[in-house]
Order: sequence, then C-alpha cells, then structure tokens
Amino acid sequence: MWVLAGLRHGVLTTRWPARPDQYAQASRGPAVVTTARPPDADQLASLCPTGAIGVTGGALSLDQGRCVQCGRCVSARPEVFAWSAGPAGAALARPGLIAGDLPENPENLAALSERLRARTRALRRSVHLRHVDAGSDGTEEWEILALLNPVYDVHRLGIFFTASPRHADVLLVTGSGARGMTEPLRRTYEAMPHPKVVIAVGTDAVSGGLVSPSYATTAGVAATVPVDVWLPGSPPSPFAILHALLLALGRLPGGAGAQR
Amino acid sequence: MSAYSVVFGAGLWLLAVAAVADLALGTRRPRLVQVPYLLGAAACACIVVAGAGALAGRSARLWAGGVLGQGTAGPAADQLSGLFLVIAFGAAAGVSLAFASWAGQGRPGRRGLGASYALALAAVAVILTARDAFTLLFAWEGLTLAFYLLAGFERGRPGRPAAALVTLAFGRLSGAALLIGLLLLAGRSGSLSVATFAHVPPGGVRTTAQALLLLGFAVKVGLVPFQIWLPRGYAAAPGPARAIMAGVAVNVGFYGLWRTLALLGPPPSWLTGALLVMAGLTAVLGIAHAAVQPQLQRVIAYSSVENTGLILAGFGVALVGAASADRLLVAVGLLAATLQVIAHTAAKSLLFTASAQIESATGTADLDDLRGTVRRLPWSGTGLAIGGLTLAGLPPTAGFVSEWFLLEALMQQFRVPGLADRLVLALAGAAVALTAGFAGVTFVRLLGLIVLGTPQPRGSAVRLRDYGLAGRAGIVLLSGGCLVTAMLTPLEIRVIAAGLSPDVPAAATAAALKSPWVLQPVFAGFSILSPSWLWIVMPALFLVVAVLAWAASGSRMLRVRRVPPWQSATAGVEGRDSYTAFGFANPTRRVLAAVLHTRAEVRRIETRAPVAAPSPASLAAPSPASLAAPSPASLASFPAGAGAADTAGPGAGVPHVGFSSDVVEVFEEYLYRPVLRPLAALGRAARRLQSGRLDAYLGYMLIALVAMLAVVSALS
Amino acid sequence: MPAAAGAAVAADVPAMWAKLTSEVAAGARFAGLFATARSDHLLLSAHLARPAGIAIVETALPPAAASYPALTPRLGAAFWYEREIRDLFGIVPAGHPRLEPLILPLEGAQSPRPRPGAPGGPAVAEPDPRALPQHVIGPGMFTIPHGPVRSGVMESVEYLVETPGEDIPHLNMRVFYKHRGIEKRFEGMTPADGVLLAERTEGTASVAHALAYCHALERMAGVEVPWAAALVRVLHAELERVACHLDVAVRLADAAGLAVATARFGWHKEEVLRLVSQLCGSRFGRGVVIAGGVSALPLMSTADLLAAAGRLDARVTADVRALMGTASFLDRLRRTGPLPPGRAAEHGALGPVGKASGFADDARLARPYDAYPRLGLRPAGPHDEGDALARLRVRWDEVGQSLHLLRQAADELSEAAAGPLRAPCHPHDGRSVGWAEAPQGEVLYDVRIEGGRLTRCRARSASFHNLVLMHEVFAGDILTDFPFIEASFGLSVAGVAG
Repeated sequence: MWVLAGLRHGVLTTRWPARPDQYAQASRGPAVVTTARPPDADQLASLCPTGAIGVTGGALSLDQGRCVQCGRCVSARPEVFAWSAGPAGAALARPGLIAGDLPENPENLAALSERLRARTRALRRSVHLRHVDAGSDGTEEWEILALLNPVYDVHRLGIFFTASPRHADVLLVTGSGARGMTEPLRRTYEAMPHPKVVIAVGTDAVSGGLVSPSYATTAGVAATVPVDVWLPGSPPSPFAILHALLLALGRLPGGAGAQR
Repeated sequence: MSAYSVVFGAGLWLLAVAAVADLALGTRRPRLVQVPYLLGAAACACIVVAGAGALAGRSARLWAGGVLGQGTAGPAADQLSGLFLVIAFGAAAGVSLAFASWAGQGRPGRRGLGASYALALAAVAVILTARDAFTLLFAWEGLTLAFYLLAGFERGRPGRPAAALVTLAFGRLSGAALLIGLLLLAGRSGSLSVATFAHVPPGGVRTTAQALLLLGFAVKVGLVPFQIWLPRGYAAAPGPARAIMAGVAVNVGFYGLWRTLALLGPPPSWLTGALLVMAGLTAVLGIAHAAVQPQLQRVIAYSSVENTGLILAGFGVALVGAASADRLLVAVGLLAATLQVIAHTAAKSLLFTASAQIESATGTADLDDLRGTVRRLPWSGTGLAIGGLTLAGLPPTAGFVSEWFLLEALMQQFRVPGLADRLVLALAGAAVALTAGFAGVTFVRLLGLIVLGTPQPRGSAVRLRDYGLAGRAGIVLLSGGCLVTAMLTPLEIRVIAAGLSPDVPAAATAAALKSPWVLQPVFAGFSILSPSWLWIVMPALFLVVAVLAWAASGSRMLRVRRVPPWQSATAGVEGRDSYTAFGFANPTRRVLAAVLHTRAEVRRIETRAPVAAPSPASLAAPSPASLAAPSPASLASFPAGAGAADTAGPGAGVPHVGFSSDVVEVFEEYLYRPVLRPLAALGRAARRLQSGRLDAYLGYMLIALVAMLAVVSALS
Repeated sequence: MPAAAGAAVAADVPAMWAKLTSEVAAGARFAGLFATARSDHLLLSAHLARPAGIAIVETALPPAAASYPALTPRLGAAFWYEREIRDLFGIVPAGHPRLEPLILPLEGAQSPRPRPGAPGGPAVAEPDPRALPQHVIGPGMFTIPHGPVRSGVMESVEYLVETPGEDIPHLNMRVFYKHRGIEKRFEGMTPADGVLLAERTEGTASVAHALAYCHALERMAGVEVPWAAALVRVLHAELERVACHLDVAVRLADAAGLAVATARFGWHKEEVLRLVSQLCGSRFGRGVVIAGGVSALPLMSTADLLAAAGRLDARVTADVRALMGTASFLDRLRRTGPLPPGRAAEHGALGPVGKASGFADDARLARPYDAYPRLGLRPAGPHDEGDALARLRVRWDEVGQSLHLLRQAADELSEAAAGPLRAPCHPHDGRSVGWAEAPQGEVLYDVRIEGGRLTRCRARSASFHNLVLMHEVFAGDILTDFPFIEASFGLSVAGVAG
C-alpha cells in the first residue's frame, strides 16, 4: 500500500548540482548592492536594522553576514539594492561575505580553499553531519531537515546525518550563539575527531542576526568554535545549505573554492 | 596397594592434618592461617593424580575393608570415580590456593573454617570412591555436616542461621532419600556392596529405589522444586567456601546420577519425562532469577540452579537413549552433560573465588556499588569476566563448547522412537535455548556494569587489596580450566570417554571426534565444530584487522586524544546518571513477569520542606484555606501540601519518586510456605510433650519399649 | 476587531491574586503573568482570556521588594511564569513549590538581572550551572540526561528522564540553553523593526507572531486593516499552519519508522514552503505582515494559487487516509502521552494539545481578527481522549479547515485585489495587547510604546504555556514512546526559552 503510494508521483528528486534547478536559480538569497556609488550613499546605512550596509570612501558595501532578508533596502531603493538569486551564498572567509566593491585577496582565498580541500580529502564522497542548535529560531532546523526529504535527498550525494559526534565529519551550527549553549557546543566540537569542518549556517550563526546584541548571545558562533564556511541567510534555503556543504568538501562542479 | 593408592591415601591424610592444623593454630597469625589451605591444595593435587591413575585404568584401593564395620569395602576409584576426582579436585586445587590467600588477609574470625573446608573435601573424596552403601551414606552425612558448618560459619550476620538450617534440612532430606533407596536395594541384594545392586531383579522395589536415589541426588544439585536452598546456602558461606560448595562439592550429585544410570539402568519413561521437564524448568527459573538479583553472590548462586537444569537436560537425553538401547544417544547425552559439568565446575569456582575477594575488599556485594571493579581489583575482575563469559556460553570458552554440545544432543530427539519422548526432549531443548539467551543478558549485566563500568562515584578508582601470590595462582589455574579446556576439547573428550568407558563404550563416545581437531555430536553428518580452530582463527582475525587498521591509518592509530565520554553535551546531574544494575534488569523483570511474579510499584516520596527563615521582605505565608491545591493527579509539578515557605534552596522540599520491584520465588511461596505452616503447628503441639516432668519422660520411655516389643513380636 | 480592554489595576498583590482566581473560577482563562521594571516600581501584569478579548490585571510592587506571595499555590498554571519572573528580575515568589531557574540560571542574589522594561542592564549574563538544583531522585531510580544536543536535527533542550530502567515515572526539563534575551532586545526598537524581531522569536510561527504584534499596534492606533490585507494575512497564516502540522506528521512517521510516509509528508511540506516562497519571496512568510496591513499582494495569480492549493489538498488527503489506516502507526499513538481533560482545562492548554483533551479556545473563533469573522471557520470536532492520536486527529482537522480557508481567501482576494493594502499605523505612545492563533496555540503580545520606541514587548508563545504539561503526560509509557509524545506536542523551544 505504501509502496504504491511511493511510486505514484515518480521521481521527485532534484538533479542539482549536476543539472541546474529552476527553483534553486529563483530562490532568494541575502541582498546585494547593484549600484556601488549612488549619490546619497551616506544616508542609506540607516535603512538596515542590523547595520549590514556600510559606506567606505563613498562606496556602498553590504555585509551579507548581517543581512536578515527583511527586504527594507530592496523595497526602499530597488535601483541600488537587489536580492541575490541562486544558491551560491557561502564563503570560506568572513570578509568574503561583504559583497560590493571591496578588493579581495585572491592568494589568501586560494590558500584557504587549498587547506580546506586537503583537510576534507578523505571525506569527499561520504561525509557525516552533526547539527547543533546554538540558539536559533527554529527555521534553520527546518531547512536542514528539508535536506532529507525526497526533493533534495542528500543521501544521493553521500551525505548523511549522524547522532553521535564521534562519527561526524562536519559540524553544522545554527543560532546566534546563546550563552547557555556555549559549553555544549564546545563539548560537541571536542567530541568530534579530526579532520572536521565547521559550517556556520544562517545569519544568526555568522554574526548574531537581529537578535544580537543581547546579554544572552555571543553574536554568532565564531566566538566558540573555529568556523570554516560561512553561510548567510535568514534562513538559508536548502539549496544554499547544500552549496555550502559541497563547497566545504570541494565538490562543486566547475572548480571548487573558486566562487567566494 | 599401587602407587596411586598411596597417593590417594596421602591426600586424605593431608586433609586430616589440615583440619587439625586449623583447629590448633587458630586465626591469629596470617602466615599460619594459610597453612591448612595450602595443605589442602597439596591434598587436592595428590587426589587428582590418583584420579588420573584411575582413569588410566589403575584402580586405587585404599584399604581392604572391614575397618568401618562388617560388609564395608574400602574406597576404590574406578574410571567414573577417577573422572570426577580429576574434575572436582582440579578445581579444588585452584580454590584452595585462593582460599589460602583470602584467609591470609588477616580478618578476625573463629577457628574451624579450615576444618570445615577439609571435612568437605574429604567427604567429597570418599563419596566419589565409595564401594559400599554404608561408606557412601557416612560420607554423605559428613558432607551435609560440612555444608552446615560452612553455611553457618558467620552465624552472627543476619540471615546466616536461617540459611544454615535450610541447608541442613535439605541435606538431611537428600540423605534420607539415599538412605531409604540404598537400604531397599541392600535388602534385596543381600549385601551392602554397591556393585551388587546392579543385579537386583526389576520390579517395584528396584524402581522405587531408583526414584529415591535420583531424588536424593537431585536435591543435592538443586533440581526444581528443591532448588530453594541453593541461593541461600551458597550466599551464606564465607568467601571461597562458596566455591567449594558450589563448584567442587556439587559434583557428587552429578556423580551419583551418573553412577545410578550405570548401575541400575534407565528408569521408567514417566520418570525420565518428569526429569526432563523439571530440568527445563530449573534452567529457566534459575536464569530468570539470576538476571534480576541485586546482589553479586545471589546472581552466581542462581546461575548454579540454571546449570543444574542444563546438565540434567543432557542427562535426560542419556536416559532416553538408555531406555531405547541407543548407545550413541547415551554417549552424546552423557558427553554433553559431562562437558557442561566441567565448564560449570571451572567457571563457578572461578566466579565465587573472584567474587569473594571483591566482596571482602570493597565490603559490599551490591551490584550497584561494585561498578568498575576491574580497575580496582584487576585479578579478581578478570576472573569474574572469564567466569562470566564461560557461563554465558560465549566463544571461545569452554562454556560455548558445552552449550553447543548440549543443544546438539537435544536436537537428536528425532532419532528417538517414541512420540512422548520426542516431545519432552523438544520441550527441554526449547527451554535450554531460552536459558542461553537470558544467560547472555545476565552476564552482560555483570560484565558490562561491574567489570567494564566506570567506578562510581567517579574518580574513586582507588586500588583495593587484591589476591596475593597464591590467590593469583588459583585464579590463573581456574581461568585456564575455562579457556584451555576449550582449546584442547578433543583431549578433554578422550578423557571423558575413558571416564565413561565401562558403561558407555569408548568407541561410541570417541565418535564425537570427527577428526583430530573437529567435533561432531557423536552422530555423523549432523554438524561440526572446532573450538581449537576458533582459538587460532579468532585471535588471528583480530591481529589481521589490527595490523590493517594500523597500516591504513599510517600509524596515526596510536595517537590518541582523550575527551570526556559523550553524554549529549549535558553538564550532567549529580548522582546516578546512567543505567544502574537494578535498572538494567527491569526489562527482564517485565518480560519474565509470569515466571518471577514481579510486583512493581512507583510511589511518591514527600520530603518535609525545611522551614526557611523568613526573608526580610517576604509577606505572611498564605493561610491553608486559600491553598487551593492543584488536582492530585498531577504527579510531578508540585505536591499537594508541600506548602512551607520555600525560598531559593535548591531542591528543598522537592517531592521525588521512588521505584521498588519485587520478585517472588514461586516454589518457596506456593509450595513450601503452605507446608511449613502445619509443620510449625505440629512442632508447637509437640512441644507440649516437653513438660519438663521426670515422670512424664519415664512414661514415654515405657510406652516406646512396650510398642517396640509388640512390633517385634508381631513381625517375627 | 474586538475592542481593546483596559488594564484593571489592583491595590496589592493579594488583591490581584484574588481577582485572578475569582475570574478564573467564573470561566476566564489565565493566559500569562509577567513583570515590567518601571522607573520607580515593578509592575506585575496578568492576562485573562475572555470571549470579549484579553483583559489585563496588574499591580505595582515597591522597588525594594525582594519577594511577593506566589500565585502558583492558588493557580497552578502560573508555575513557569513565576519562575521566569524570578529569573529575569530576581524577585522571589514566596511559597512557590519548586523555585528552580527556568530560562536564566544565575547564582546568587547579587548577579545583575536583565529586568526588561528598565533601560540598561547587564551586557553579559552567563548562565551558571551551579544555580541548577541538585537532583533528588528516589531509590531504585536513575536519571538519563538527554540533551541539549540531541540525536537528530532538533532544537536544544534537555530532558532529564527519571526512570527505573524502562518506564518513565518522571520527567524534568531544562530549557535555559536557548535563551536569547528577546524581551530585552525589543527595548529601544522602532515599532517597524519590532515586527522583524517578532518574526524571529519563534521562527516556525513567524506569521502568527507578526500578526499578534501588529494587532497590538493596530489596537493601540485604533486602525482597521483593509479587507485585501486581511485576506492575504489569512492566506499566509493558514499556510503556516499547514506547514507546521505536516512537520508534526513527518516527525511522527519518522519515529514510527514509516519511511514512505516520512518521505511523502516531507515532500508535501516542501511543496507548501515553496508555495509560500512563490507567494512572497520568503519560505516562511517573513516580510509580509506589517503594522496596518501587508507589504504586498501575492506574487502569484489567484488561479495558480487555487490550482496549487487543490493539488496539495488532494495529495495530502490521500496520504492522510493511508497514514491513519496504518495499524502499526496508530498503535504507537493510541493511549500514548494522555493529557486528562480536567488537567487541560485547569491549565488552559492551548492549540491542538488542548483541543485533543476537550479544551478548545481557538483565538480565531473566540476573539476573531483579520478576515476570520467573515470566512467560514468551524470549530474542531470533539476529541477528548487526550492522547497522541487525538492530537494528530485534531491537526488533520485543522489542516482540512486551513486548506478550505485558503481557497475561500483566494477566491475573495481575486475580487478585492484592487483595494488598499495597508492603513497608516504609527502609534507614538500607548500600551495594548494583540493576539493570534499560531499552529501551536494562541500567541499573546503585550506592547508598550513610549516616545515612538518600544519600551516593553512581552511575547508569550503557546509553546511556553504548553511545554510544562509535558511533565504530566507520561502515564505508563516507556522510553521508546518519548519521541511520539514530544512530536505530538509540536512545540518550538525557541518560543519557550525566549
């Protein structure tokens, strides 16, 4: 009976990243700056409730790590700001999330990417994830759990979830770093064997989000564990999480680590 | 008199000297206290040598006869006796060494323990080699006396006097059954010599005597419904004396059963069927209770009951085979039973020896307080582990081989002609299989929590005093008995074949060896096992995997980073935060509730809240009338009426929940207690006879004399 | 919408307790207790839910007061509320039966407490495990600590299961791990930013929290939401309800080991989230609800929306029928985790937890808001077994009604799309209460604005009110029933820990 039900609608699974996916292309990521030097750049910083918009020398920059996707900047000044589209949102270094006209240091980025590849060489085709909630609002957990539904089906990529950190290779941390979870997060990190990769999932984990500054949070989890991959979004869509995972493992098609 | 006779006699004399030494030297100086036991160990060695000689065919006669009275023949060992002498006294040697070490640890005590120990061993030796009924009964009563002395040795501790009395009562019961049975046979055959009993013509007397003999030996080994004295009696004895009682002396019961089969042949089929059913029930009941006991000694004692069931199931197969004149079936049954006897002797002695030291070093026998003893007592803990693995029947120990053999023997039931026999054998086979499963649970609890657990409270891995040199030698000897006999099972089978040989042809028993290192259950083409190959292959596989892992990890395998155990990242709670021994047994209590009659109860324990000093700004406590207590059904959040002012004291006045669970010994509850009541009433009534008046007593004597005269004159 | 109810001020604490108990005895429902630190006193406020609306009863405590007589011995539902007040303000309810830290364990009376309502406060308040009580357990029992990092992708909460080895006679919970200090963070924000934070208080009920907050602002400013905006709000609220209930079904099917059911309901939930993202750009309906109305019309045509809803309805109904016919699944849920109806009524259990035990107080029916008065919403069918199966049945009833409401709202929207989408709503000063029915139950917001900025915003989620009932539903259940009971409650820890 359930077998028949399962067969009724055919294959639901997306072919991403091997083939492009329409929903992935259309999904909304954090905001980006489209016009780097608008005339009234100095007044635009007050648009953002988390202070993601910054001005340096007349050039606008938007720190995606702080963007909670409220949409205020996009609806107020649609010619300066726009939503980023597509799942590629993660970065290997925190400065890499500050989109805009900031100069990147390509050698540093390449070195980071190379070190990460070396660390994850043994894990590439079969990796186990452990998730820790360090004070999230519940939506990031839904998006991570969505990876297990038949539409995304991470098992086809050799990615599995595990309950024991002793078996885990990748630590997914969500939440703005609630102080009550500092010790448990640190214990979980210590309980994982080397080599391990830490991914900060969501704007809350990257920078504390809208909830910080607060007496009960540490403005992101970077204060407790060393983060290797930073993934903004409030919450990041399952495709974005998948992209971040594949970035961490060096499995992105078309050259790993070359994106951000 | 051959050399072996001299050696045997020397052994008995050494035991006598040991008894005298114990009574003379006392318990004051540690060095001298060990002397009786070391002499006992030497005596055991002598007796083992004599037994080996008997196995080889040189029977050892001690003295011609007539010393103890007309018609008595001196003790002499034939092959069966020699087999059991080797088994029992081999284990006794190890236990004696450990006993010496245990006794030498300087504890205050009375003299007499060594003497009781020597008496027990001497009685066992004489029973195993008795040639006539009188010697047998004399030694049997001596063994009962020794058991009573051992069980009641620490009579100051609670429960010991009652246990000693129960032991004595059942010992007398078995002695009485043996007495009546042997005298019936002696009356028919006209002589006290045991060998002549085989020629008693079949009939009601022979059958009755057979049944009584089987009953007497069954009480000794603890077959249902006579098993209730075993846990009490064994647990009451001090230290390694338990090993003597449960590991060494119990073999006289099995020897008696083997001897009864050899002498009198198979009993009627209803008796065989009843025996098999009882054996299955004993096994299940024993393991069910062993799995849920909170005390270490009781777990091991109930495991003795379970093993009795297993051994008698094998013996039942042999009885069925004898009734249908199938020599191979008899061979497989006796072989399975004897293998289990050997494994049980070694393992039980080892378990009780190890647990004796554990109990005396830590001062407690409660399983929940004994976690992680291997760290604190490495030798005893390892002994406990090996004994536990053997009784759980895990490869590559001797227990595995014997349980395999037993199940294979029971599976031969399809070769038996009668349907009733087949059904009963199948039933017994099912019971044995169920027992094997629960034996795994029982010993996992023992090993996992006690041997491998973390010592609680944490950090208290203080090294306690373990066995000395003699004790370690004893543990090594007994562990060798568990492990090496598995390695050398073909040799063991040849020895057993030699032991069983006059009654079961050696060719039949040796048919269990398909090839020099491969075993089969006597019948060809059924199944095979090679424990010797297991001993080679298992370590080899382990080594191969370890080498591969080391090579594949590039020698990183040896670089270890230690982190606290994973407990879902909690900060932890004070007190018991992982499975206790009590809790681990809970599923078993539930599943086997029919057998155990489990009664469980959860109750709330109120604590009176401490009356806190009123804080400066606190207002008056609310009056009782306004305390609309929430519904009493709410168990947890807050109690009804815990009202006193509770300032921020952590946990103050918090109600908590307690759990208690009782199991009931069904036979004791429903068979013995109802019988004891009228007996007690009878006793009270009889006490009225003890009026204390001289003329009444003289009157009783006169009545008795007149009655005796009347009876004698009527009979003649 | 129903008229704003003013705040009734009681003379002192005992008088306030007397009024509360008399109101509750007369049929009102106790809906929460909280405190606000004002400049010269501490304000204790309680909410009472009546059919007419939410009433406030409050009293002032002198500034030097270190304790007050506890409400819990008289009104058991205040159990966790008083512990929370003690954690945030340091003031002790005298006579409270079990005063342990709930959301912020701080050792010692001298540690600075956050004190929401008063400007300033500690920059860092590190939770101190020494403030947690030593556990008192009885003989024969031991405690299995489970959490905060649990076996699966779940929110962090610790359950201390006191067990003799198989049964669960007693359960303790530690919820302080995820405390983020949301109440204090609200202070100083503009009302527009407050919507954003309200959405992130309990993310799986974003729309409901935003609705409750905006209702408070609209009541304060006295504005009426335009019809088109009300319909869009209902659209998103009902889609959120369907998503939450499907999530509960996924967790229950996963706990029961039904792989195909887990996959199919996971797919349905994904379809719902994708539908929401196609309507407004965010998978959780964020950014739609603003004070006075909604920010934009759906980005999908009504015809497409109706088609998608129809497809969803057909698939979900078929799978629900199959799931509720699987005997092995129903066996795990029947008589598991029963909540007695008397207890549910006494505590005022919210949402599906209450409805399954015969206590229904749906805010959409009792105190309707937005478009609900004019859309046809029927009360849920009578259920009073109170076990996990009843809670699941209640959820399926609600899903059916939500999809029906969805279609109604979409139909009406196709005619009303031309109207205004928001009414101007910029309250400068005021204090009001707003509510909405989240998937977990009723959400209450008590908002106070002074000088154009928020000075106190109390967000009481249904999860906070209901989670305490987890203590009482383990009657004869064993350890393997635990995930079913937890999933059947369907609560979000983010809303509990605040």
